[in-house]
Amino acid sequence: MAELDRYPGTPRWVKVFGIFALVLVLLFVVLHLTGRGLGDHRPGEHAPSGGGPPSPKRGH
Amino acid sequence: MTMSPRIRKLALTAHVTASVGWLGAVAAFLALAIAGLTSLQSQTVGAAYLATELIIWSVIVPLSLASLVTGVVSSLGTAWGLFRHYWVLAKLLLTILATTLLAFHTQPVGRVASLATERMLSSADLRQVRIQLVADAGAALLVLLVNTTLGVYKPRGMTRYGWRKQRAAVDQRSC
Repeated sequence: MAELDRYPGTPRWVKVFGIFALVLVLLFVVLHLTGRGLGDHRPGEHAPSGGGPPSPKRGH
Repeated sequence: MTMSPRIRKLALTAHVTASVGWLGAVAAFLALAIAGLTSLQSQTVGAAYLATELIIWSVIVPLSLASLVTGVVSSLGTAWGLFRHYWVLAKLLLTILATTLLAFHTQPVGRVASLATERMLSSADLRQVRIQLVADAGAALLVLLVNTTLGVYKPRGMTRYGWRKQRAAVDQRSC
């Protein structure tokens, strides 16, 4: 029962998994802070590109 | 609190169904988001974004919540527990993360779909958001594949809390 006397520690896969998850979360936060994440769009982005003809109306 | 074998199987069936259904719905969402971004036919683009809004509200959101609830119920009702094994904890955190991100992402999906109902989308319309939809759907699919893999392989490793609980149970039996 000696192996039960001491906590065997965190498995390696958990450490690798944790580092990977942390990097992904940081990447996501950075993308949002730099304004490249979801929900961001430049003013006028959903207007048709300047000078071009307007997009045809749906159903015509 | 341990469930009877019949209830445990029912909860597990509900959890697997919701989780795998969620994965399939996200794969369908990704296909539609790619079609909306890359198709040269404006009708296909509009239809794709209308379908993404329908899928996210009628399939993805309900299945994600069902997966979270059934997962918590299944783990608490069995010897696995919710915080005893790292694979269960990792699945829980990933599911919470994916569900939270999903809640944030319903808004841009609605915005693109709303514009698609007003007029034909050009390739420049909301381009940044449409690219982001593809990237996020791909990331969500990856997270759900990791979750499925964790659920099937159940990699070894107990948390400190789980180890203490197991030790207490062993001590109690030996007394």
